[in-house]
Amino acid sequence: MSERVARAALSRLSEPGDVRLTTLVGRLGANRVYELLRDEQDVAGVYTDVAARLRGLDPARELADAAGKGIRFVCPEDDEWPRDLDDLDRAEPLQERGGAPLGLWVKGPRRLDEACHSAAAVVGSRSATTYGAAVASDLAAHLAEHGVGVVSGAAFGIDQAAHRGALAVKGLTVAVLACGVDRAYPSAHRGLLDYIAETGLVVSELPPGCAPTRVRFLSRNRLIAALARGTVVVEAAVRSGALNTANWTTRLNRVLMGVPGPVTSAPSQGVHELIRARGAALVTRGEDVLELLAPSGSFLAEVPRAPMLVTDLLDDRERRVLDAVPVTRPAGEDSIARTAGVAEPDVRAAMERLSGLGLVEQTSVGWLRTGQTIQR
Amino acid sequence: MGVATARTITLQGASGHVIDVQVDVSQGVVKTAMVGRPDASISEARDRCRAAVTNSGFEWPATRRVTILLSPADLPKRGPHFDLAIAVATLAASGKIPVAALAGVVFVGELTLDGRLRAVPGVLPMAMAASARDLGCVVVPEPQAEEASMIPGMTVLGARSLAQVVAILRAEPVPDAAPVQPLAPGPLLSWRGEHRIEEVDLSDVLGMADAKYALEVAAAGGHHVMLSGPKGAGKTTLAERLPGLLPDLTLEEALELSAIYSLAGCLPPGQTVMTRPPFRAPHHSATRTGMLGGGSGRVHPGEVSRAHTGALFLDEFPLFQADIIEGLREPLESGEVTIARGDEIATFPARTMFVLACNPCPCGEYHPTNRDNRCECLEVRRREYRRKISGPIADRIDITRHVEPLTRREKDDPLCRPETSAEVRARVAAARERQARRYDGTGWRLNSAVPGPVLRERWPLPSEAERLVDDRVYAGTLTRRGATRVHRLAWTVADLRGVGRPDVNEVDTALRLRSGEPLMLSALGAVAG
Repeated sequence: MSERVARAALSRLSEPGDVRLTTLVGRLGANRVYELLRDEQDVAGVYTDVAARLRGLDPARELADAAGKGIRFVCPEDDEWPRDLDDLDRAEPLQERGGAPLGLWVKGPRRLDEACHSAAAVVGSRSATTYGAAVASDLAAHLAEHGVGVVSGAAFGIDQAAHRGALAVKGLTVAVLACGVDRAYPSAHRGLLDYIAETGLVVSELPPGCAPTRVRFLSRNRLIAALARGTVVVEAAVRSGALNTANWTTRLNRVLMGVPGPVTSAPSQGVHELIRARGAALVTRGEDVLELLAPSGSFLAEVPRAPMLVTDLLDDRERRVLDAVPVTRPAGEDSIARTAGVAEPDVRAAMERLSGLGLVEQTSVGWLRTGQTIQR
Repeated sequence: MGVATARTITLQGASGHVIDVQVDVSQGVVKTAMVGRPDASISEARDRCRAAVTNSGFEWPATRRVTILLSPADLPKRGPHFDLAIAVATLAASGKIPVAALAGVVFVGELTLDGRLRAVPGVLPMAMAASARDLGCVVVPEPQAEEASMIPGMTVLGARSLAQVVAILRAEPVPDAAPVQPLAPGPLLSWRGEHRIEEVDLSDVLGMADAKYALEVAAAGGHHVMLSGPKGAGKTTLAERLPGLLPDLTLEEALELSAIYSLAGCLPPGQTVMTRPPFRAPHHSATRTGMLGGGSGRVHPGEVSRAHTGALFLDEFPLFQADIIEGLREPLESGEVTIARGDEIATFPARTMFVLACNPCPCGEYHPTNRDNRCECLEVRRREYRRKISGPIADRIDITRHVEPLTRREKDDPLCRPETSAEVRARVAAARERQARRYDGTGWRLNSAVPGPVLRERWPLPSEAERLVDDRVYAGTLTRRGATRVHRLAWTVADLRGVGRPDVNEVDTALRLRSGEPLMLSALGAVAG
């Protein structure tokens, strides 16, 4: 049996992220592990768990069936395999889940490694606000326009907003599911997932037909973090699956980013905590994310600045003189000097500068502020 | 010779009072006297009636003393429609018509000098008032018979002339007469834009999911909305689509609205009953009288009343005159408008949804949540602008939404399928149905009309949900009045969701709608645009 078929078989037998199995496969090879299990050898207690699933298993046929539905199984030996996933083997397991996946079931026209090469994950709460959804969409659209793939989990709330933002600009987006890629979970996202499968990629560690369960969501989150160079969390309450993805991001030494919300907003609390105590970078625009994801220094986001004012050109003394020039009734230089606390010759010098800038004008009885506002 | 009484109705605002027109014809100094606080147009009736009676082939008791009493004397009386009652009572008093024939009949109509009848405004509310006093028969100018017939159980006689009325009362063959001109003739011009509001659809608008949801809630419960946003963002576009979300009027609403239009003398010809909710959008240069009602002579209903059962859109709200803005407090709160003038107090219904639109600043570019705003207004000017809507008016607005300009991702979202007005209207109708069932027999139709104390007593919030509201009140971010409004709003949200009664989620949505905070996506339904 080929290594690929064996991996497909094991992905059907095991729960995703089973560290015992990934370790075994790493040591013995998938084919050998599958044979041991088929021969009812209880290695590391795995057999006991999977015995019920072994009956009637026909991995070769399963691969053929999947191919019929346009689903391929991508293994580590394939060109398409994103090398970044291997980082998972070196990362500490989280809640007893971890390790690189045995393989990925993929649906969609793009190459997985290319799609994930410079991708960003945009994740967040299912119970999101319209603010969060709008920010996630705009962010994803900006990233996708700049050739950065958007990875997310196709859930309600932030996830779907991120996917749709990328789709709106005809960008690339990758949906990572906690069930078979032929299923739609949540079912309301059937249209979204079909659309992504036509233009981007729908990916899962689980073979077709598998249903989503709680632990599968946790394992799925590690893939989202591993497939992207960095993760942006947009709205996550204190208990949110997105924080699990954030954990994995940190564990994989990838860039963790958070979009702030109103400090009073419950759905932003988790993000604020990530920024406050967990080292997440605060990002507010697509540009910020691009800067953090690009190789150091190769992309610099523009720093927002207040508009330049004429008064910015003045030094302290000139500013004091300007403040002392009356608006309605002209004043002489002596009076201005008194008000400003500046020597009269200095006032004269300042006046020359200020009138040159059009800020003051001389009348027959003294100086007056012009109607010109300080704004440029 | 003798005495006879004919009845007619005088209107005070939208309420009508039965007036007895009593005529005594007797020996004495030859004179025709009118007593009982008639206004100028009624005093003129004496001369009109005399000519009309004579020119209809009857004899005016010119050699007698004729005393015409309009009672009760303490009510101010207005309008030319007393003519018919005066003429008929005079003829009855001088023995030309059997006095008994006048019992239980209300006469409405202005007379011309040649004895023909003219149409008068307000026939519908007059017929309503007659019906309320168990007067089962009205005689009205012929074109308005249909209008009066809207009252169930009312016998309506449409007549063209005084001679016809007399013939009917004498039970004689009715003579022919020239037809009476209807009150509001058809428009001289008809233009394409006339029915524009009926042709716009919610599905024309992309994105703006939360503003659309806000309109849906407003439509379902009759709540007031404030839309703010930079110019050109789509505030007017959205507001114009609000009437399309409202279901057809119920019979009761249709009668009320038609009565107001009848009073204003602008019932569309050929359409006696208004079946669709009105949408009024007066310009900010409107006068106080035009907005709230009033006018010299007869008190006219204003825009707020003409928008009764529908929506009143006030674009550029801060530019309206300050005294109009002040005057809107009453209709905003109580759903009616009272015009006090001298010894006369007129009340009109004004249970309309206010949709106020304002720019965030005088130049319309400023937006606190848009970092790219190009506003150049000074902060002082912004404050001045906002002050006009703050305070008592802002507190009476149930729903606040910021309308952001459409972004590219909203426009190009391949999965966005905007709902049509009809789809939303169906949900609104279902929610209104639930309210109608709940408030059956109470006289209220929509959540927005239910008084706070009654709501708290009979339809309270669960304690956990109540706490959400109380927290805001104690924190000082919500007034007591605001809390009541949130309570009503929560019921509407629950009615739209069909959940039986509001709980924490519905109250949360209501609080967000009121404060302008972003809504939870889940509140907008599964895949919101």
